[in-house]
Amino acid sequence: MNGASGSGASDGVGASRRESVLQRRLSLADMLDLPSFVEVVRSFSELYRVGIKVMDTAGDKLADVKVGHGDFCSYVFGFPEGRSRCTATVARVKDGPVALVQGARPASGDGAEAAGIIALPCFTGLRYLVMPVRWEGDELGRVILGPFTPEELADLPPSLTDISGVDLSRAHELVARVRRVPERTAAQVLVHFGQVLAALVASGQRAFLATQLHIEAMLETHRELEANNARLAQANTRLKELDRLKSTFLGTVSHELRTPLASIIGYSEMLAEGLAGALNPEQLLYVRTIVEKGESLLNLISSILDLSQIEAGRLRLVMGPVDLGSVIQTAVSSVAPQAQRKGVELEVCLPPLPQPRLAADADKLRQVVVNLLANAVKFTSSGGRVSVVMSEATAQNELAAPGYRVSVEDTGMGIREDQFENIFQSFYQVDGSSTREHGGAGLGLAIVKSLVEGHGGRVSVESEFGRGSRFTVVLPLQPPLSEHGGFSALAPTPSPSGHDRF
Amino acid sequence: MQLNHAQRELTLKIVYYGPGLSGKTTNLRHLHAKASPEVRGRLLTVETHDDRTLFFDLLPVFFSTSSGFKVKVKLFTVPGQVIHNATRRIVLQGADAVVFIADSRRGATADNNAYWRNLQENMKENNLDPSQVPVVIQFNKKDLPDARTDAEIEESRRRGGEAVVGAVALRGEGVLETFHAVAQAAYRRLDTRAHLARNLGLTEAEFLGQIFRRMDLTGTALATMYGRAAGEARSGDGR
Repeated sequence: MNGASGSGASDGVGASRRESVLQRRLSLADMLDLPSFVEVVRSFSELYRVGIKVMDTAGDKLADVKVGHGDFCSYVFGFPEGRSRCTATVARVKDGPVALVQGARPASGDGAEAAGIIALPCFTGLRYLVMPVRWEGDELGRVILGPFTPEELADLPPSLTDISGVDLSRAHELVARVRRVPERTAAQVLVHFGQVLAALVASGQRAFLATQLHIEAMLETHRELEANNARLAQANTRLKELDRLKSTFLGTVSHELRTPLASIIGYSEMLAEGLAGALNPEQLLYVRTIVEKGESLLNLISSILDLSQIEAGRLRLVMGPVDLGSVIQTAVSSVAPQAQRKGVELEVCLPPLPQPRLAADADKLRQVVVNLLANAVKFTSSGGRVSVVMSEATAQNELAAPGYRVSVEDTGMGIREDQFENIFQSFYQVDGSSTREHGGAGLGLAIVKSLVEGHGGRVSVESEFGRGSRFTVVLPLQPPLSEHGGFSALAPTPSPSGHDRF
Repeated sequence: MQLNHAQRELTLKIVYYGPGLSGKTTNLRHLHAKASPEVRGRLLTVETHDDRTLFFDLLPVFFSTSSGFKVKVKLFTVPGQVIHNATRRIVLQGADAVVFIADSRRGATADNNAYWRNLQENMKENNLDPSQVPVVIQFNKKDLPDARTDAEIEESRRRGGEAVVGAVALRGEGVLETFHAVAQAAYRRLDTRAHLARNLGLTEAEFLGQIFRRMDLTGTALATMYGRAAGEARSGDGR
């Protein structure tokens, strides 16, 4: 069994995996639900008033019900000679071969021979019937019926009566309590019991194998999933590394682009100012166009540089006391020309009284407001209105701390609700087509989100499609300290799937 | 194969593999019906409510050799549904031979090929060398429209080294022939590896005879090979 044999024929089963239950030889106990089996044995014994024992091939008792003979056997067992004869008989019944040897003879009765039932005498005149439990050609154990008093037993045999000290009338009295039955009837009971046992083993084997295989299949599937997960985790690590390399690359390239671009703008400005001689109106227009386009290209490159630094976790915030109102006013004045050109009305609403300063990076906050205002102007058509409103320093629900609320509202095209999450991702464009109406690299809001969150704040959007949008930034008066004790803009991450509870 | 010299027992494992609904369980049911109770145990099946095999079916066939060895051939089916691949792999563990039940219909070709590849993969996973473990292919459902013709099946036989048997398992056609082919292939492989004839005194003729003389072969070509009279002559009864 299980290759534990002396044969040189090794099997092909994979050594790495656990051997399946299908490869094992099952014992009788594996295939029986023992508590319910014991109940079946008990009801059988009580119905026929004969003891039944079921043992497996290892000699372990699976069920043992004694009926009627207990007192008689104990009485006989009480005499030294009785004890030794009893022990010998029981040893033959329990451990001897279930074959026609060592005092056994075939039991009489219908089907007894086919079932392999043997009859074994007890020295007291009582009798045992023993039946092998066969399953698929294997012997799995034995069923012992008895002892019972054979119908034909007239008197107690000499092998009992010659034991010194035995009180015959007492022996008679006790043996009368043992079931008296013809051997063929007892054999029939045993044959019938065998049929019930076979049915129980069949259903027990089915249940046992199905349960075991269910577990094995689950473990196997689990193993498969773990292997897949490991592969995915590896791929993920590789992708993250590539992403980091991309950010570094972008940062380097952006920096390299800015240097020559600054020269282009600088020299163009000098040309426009007439430092190299007067220009005619047409030349002046061309040169100014070069300066204007150069500056918008520089802005774009700066955004990319900012974002790549944010993504690489290298953008440090320089904290200091900041008057938010004046930050907003500076930002408004820098987008005012753009709004004016487009015919968009700009409205600022600040608290009437001076407000406490907040701890922040003034440059970065201005960039936040500029980005939001520039976006609002960009997506609002001529005749529309963009307004920026700053609250007083009050408790802010989002932060569970005092802080400011800055809203930038426009009457532009608006954003569909299913886009609310996406617009804060880098490079995302609501209109991703190459023919889209509005320019930009899709970095503005991603930078806003990183900078605001780097300050411990929150940014959110409300919008009614076609009617306008409102972006709201909430900033705490005092940003919470990060783990490293410093402040840096947060790299954009997908929303966390859950928090550690403990 | 599990060979236990101390207990004088030899256990073989034959696995019926193939796509879902190709007729694996039907094969085992027919074998169960045709085998005499003295050589076969109960047919153990674990099915879902819609009669699909959930884990496996098991039909044990057993006998004792003239030299006193107990031989048990365990016939298993795997569950055919795609999601049960882990179970298929477990059931395939330690197989001595495989029957691949293919659906003869041309429309089932892709499915047959997918499961054939799946069999090769799962054999490798179980450290079974596909070039060493014999496989018998049964083209089942030959009676259905769109089934391959005999000529096409013959052509398919020539394409590979496997034995090929045509069948209509629901009517029992080809089932015993398939079992005979796989039992013979399994014996030959194990005889090569473990020298059953020399070491156990178990020849191919006795191995097959012990099983097939106790099966109802009426209406098959096997009937003439294993006449009843010959069966009675040898007493290898394990009872």
